[in-house]
Amino acid sequence: MRTIYAALLGFALTTSAFCQNPEYQQDAKWQAPAEAASRANPLAGRPDTAAGGQKLFRRNCVECHGADGSGLAKKHAADLKLSSVQQQSDGVLFWKITNGNPDRGMPSFSKLPELQRWQLVLFLRTLKPTDSAPAKP
Amino acid sequence: MRSSIAILSLILGASGIGQAQESPYIVTYDHHLEEPGNLEIETFVTLGVPRSAQSFYAAPWMEIEYGVTGRWTSEIYIEGQGTAGDSAVFTGWRWENRFRPLKREHVINPVLYLEYESPNEASRIQKEIVGGAPDVESPNSDLQGTKNHEIEGKLILSGTAHDWNIAGNFITEKNLSRSEGFEFGYAFGFSRPLAKLASGASCRFCRENFLAGVEFYGGLGSTEDGFGVRNSAHYVAPVVSWQVSENASIHFSPGIALNGLGSPILIRFGYSYEIRGFGSRLTQWFGGR
Repeated sequence: MRTIYAALLGFALTTSAFCQNPEYQQDAKWQAPAEAASRANPLAGRPDTAAGGQKLFRRNCVECHGADGSGLAKKHAADLKLSSVQQQSDGVLFWKITNGNPDRGMPSFSKLPELQRWQLVLFLRTLKPTDSAPAKP
Repeated sequence: MRSSIAILSLILGASGIGQAQESPYIVTYDHHLEEPGNLEIETFVTLGVPRSAQSFYAAPWMEIEYGVTGRWTSEIYIEGQGTAGDSAVFTGWRWENRFRPLKREHVINPVLYLEYESPNEASRIQKEIVGGAPDVESPNSDLQGTKNHEIEGKLILSGTAHDWNIAGNFITEKNLSRSEGFEFGYAFGFSRPLAKLASGASCRFCRENFLAGVEFYGGLGSTEDGFGVRNSAHYVAPVVSWQVSENASIHFSPGIALNGLGSPILIRFGYSYEIRGFGSRLTQWFGGR
């Protein structure tokens, strides 16, 4: 039995060495195509659905972006309240949620239904903008 | 005993809130990998309902899945099997890796799958079916002594359209222990969540917490016995998963045989629990940043 525990622990330690994020830097290549950027949020007229977006945010995003969306330094995650993030179009935010940026630690959330991803965008708009840090989209 | 407590506290101590919008498939793989740094522990069982001259069996397995990077997921399995009127035996272990070569979402997203397996002939979890049909009639005493070393590869193609996931897996397996040639198999499925919008309320039985679909799987013969579907077991299996909490989900799938080979019904169910941020917490505990 000890051998199995040792093997499991060894596996966890070995694989954890590969998951450390490098120091966060803005990825200039992470740009939504123009067609995606111009998409409008189909829930824009339904602010009541933002509550569902908040629930999805708690489930999927707080681990890296923090409960208030300001981003955790140890995760090198973006501060979603920055005006440089808030100024991005709904379509851009939707595209980034959908595709992720796996090489920089941001997973793809395409497994969420499309409307739920739009709910997340709607909730992101409720975060109060700040300009206290450089842009980290 | 001390090591048991240490492992348990390691797992519980690392527990964070995680999302568990898991794929409902049990056999088919889609293109979604484990999120980097997350650890998922899954326990499943395959129950084989017997034909005449067969015995009822239960084949449990445990998976420990880890998101190594955003494009690489690694997983270890251990498995066993118990047959009514016979015995319960350990049937082996597996180590699988899935790699996603493309960075962005596309209409069809390929994932490359490579697995090393060390099962014995008594293995009945039937996580995939390749070649013909598994031997579910011979006694365990005849089967467990024959150990295999196998390499398995899969091409996973998967995409999402109108919230439906459609996934197909093309499987090939080579037994390195014997000169058996290559065996082939397939799995494909489609599924979708039962609700498109998330409600604002915290709820356990909301439709958004359920995913449902159907999967099909079976063998496609081998280079030795010929390529084809005639001498292989094939199943159709409705699948459903229920996200019971923020980090746990339950899966259920009754598989029905489409021909007279193998078990006529395979009932599968399981429980998965995700530990978010496991890798970074582990790194911190051992002095990393």
